[in-house]
Amino acid sequence: MIEVEHLSKSYGARRAVEDLSFSVKKGEVVGFLGPNGAGKSTTLRMLTGFLPPTAGRIRIDGLDMLSEPVEAKKRIGYMPEACPLYGEMRVEEYLRYRAELKGVAGRNIGARVGAALEMASVKEVAGRIIGQLSKGTRQRVGLADALVSDPPLLVLDEPTAGLDPNQIRQVRDVIKGLAGQKTVLLSTHILPEVEASCGRVVIIHRGKLVREGAPDRIRSMGPGASVMLVSRSAEEPLLHALRAIEGVTEVTVRDRVDGALRCEVHTSSEEREELGERVFEALAKAGLSLRELREVKGASLEDVFSALTTTDHAQPAEEPSVPAEEAKS
Amino acid sequence: MSAIWTIAKREIGSFFLSPFAYVVLASWVLWQGAMFALFCFFVAGAPVGSASDADPLQMLFGQTTLFFIPLLVFVPVLTMRLLAEETRQGTLETLLTAPVTSTGVVLGKYLAAMVFWAALWLPTLMYVWLTSRFGDVDWGRLGATFVGILGVGAYYMSLGVLMSAIAKSQISAAVLTFMSLGSLFAIGIMQFMQLDDATMQIIRYVSVWQHMQSFSSGIVDSRYLVYDLSLAGLGLFLAVQVLEIRRVEL
Repeated sequence: MIEVEHLSKSYGARRAVEDLSFSVKKGEVVGFLGPNGAGKSTTLRMLTGFLPPTAGRIRIDGLDMLSEPVEAKKRIGYMPEACPLYGEMRVEEYLRYRAELKGVAGRNIGARVGAALEMASVKEVAGRIIGQLSKGTRQRVGLADALVSDPPLLVLDEPTAGLDPNQIRQVRDVIKGLAGQKTVLLSTHILPEVEASCGRVVIIHRGKLVREGAPDRIRSMGPGASVMLVSRSAEEPLLHALRAIEGVTEVTVRDRVDGALRCEVHTSSEEREELGERVFEALAKAGLSLRELREVKGASLEDVFSALTTTDHAQPAEEPSVPAEEAKS
Repeated sequence: MSAIWTIAKREIGSFFLSPFAYVVLASWVLWQGAMFALFCFFVAGAPVGSASDADPLQMLFGQTTLFFIPLLVFVPVLTMRLLAEETRQGTLETLLTAPVTSTGVVLGKYLAAMVFWAALWLPTLMYVWLTSRFGDVDWGRLGATFVGILGVGAYYMSLGVLMSAIAKSQISAAVLTFMSLGSLFAIGIMQFMQLDDATMQIIRYVSVWQHMQSFSSGIVDSRYLVYDLSLAGLGLFLAVQVLEIRRVEL
């Protein structure tokens, strides 16, 4: 549905996007991740035909965005980051205008507007003036706008930014509901959002692709997990039991409090699942005491993300799921 | 094509739904009314025979620059929103990511601007009606007058659209439009100076006063129409280029 090849965008000397290549297949829900200023919005603006790229190629449903922009744009429902709307219009009036502009046939406009109002759950504000709506509601009006022409591809730039938790859930539900029928590319820097709704993620940093793959695959590339425990048992058998746990790479003794030993257990990234449970089981089996046990750092997508997008680690490592030509960036 | 009309329709709708539109139209009608009344008094007070050719309508449209001075303010006020507001609000992004070309956007805005221009002149039909009740109206001359007004509007509005594309806020759009129309007006005024013939030829084209004097006396001079339409075309062409550049800049 989307094919991006060697896409670059420069603003003067500054390179916002550099040799970015990725593709999104029909029916996929893909999360486009990166810290603020990574070039997410710039990329999405190029994909939707708003910004002309400095170099590279974009194809939407096989149509080249540069040579057939109008046809390509007909296939996209785009919700920009700031979600700009005409404040003086009423919601329904705005959606009718957008449907007409996007070439929805006159006889279908009523039905399409109704469906979009329903899907984005803005039906109850259909008659209200946009300028008087709250940020969250406006955001959903923007989503309704993206949906109104029933396009096969949705490009959503931070669709949940500025929403309250309930609204976030609503938007996520809408996106989940679209999975299968539509292709969705959504950008975000909120990681739970990706884990909740995306089948695949593309992580960019400083305009370059750093990782691409399913969220759990990416998660497994992160650092290992650690737990902190306090035990009154003797040091020798305790350390021995801990080191015997599968996947444990390191056990460090922190300090002693009232005769109790406080230590930290680390694992490699492959073995970090349920470390706490495994530590508990091992100590119980060895008949050792346990006063306190807590997770120090649960390796999450968040860890991987921050590891990948802090400058030093930004270089793509050898990564099996990324084809060689894409990894070279 | 339909996108042009859709854009124009939205623009016209939001203009006529705002109280601002009526403030503008009311003050314009007030000015026109005062001018018309002035000319009626003038014609009525003239001794019989001295103003044989005097027709208050012709005087209103063609005999005075006073009639066009307020346009230097009204035109910017009518066109300043068109594209500058889209840029400021960020809606240019939703507009240009819809299946529309920059040319379509500019033409849609221009079409709306021409409707605003027509709205300015619609009330003058009232004076035509009044004149026809108490005297004779030369319909051919009147037709030519409106062709002339349309010609002036074609390039005034095009310049307004261009300046609104260049500016990032309504105020600067208005100022730029005022400056450009003001400069053209000032060049036109130079027809009253003693200049060589060649310069005079050019100035006569630019002079809105000369232009309207010709049309209001019933002469449809195609040279003026060529000037009007070329300037209008140039303005719109440049406005499209500005939009394209604006996208690169963002």
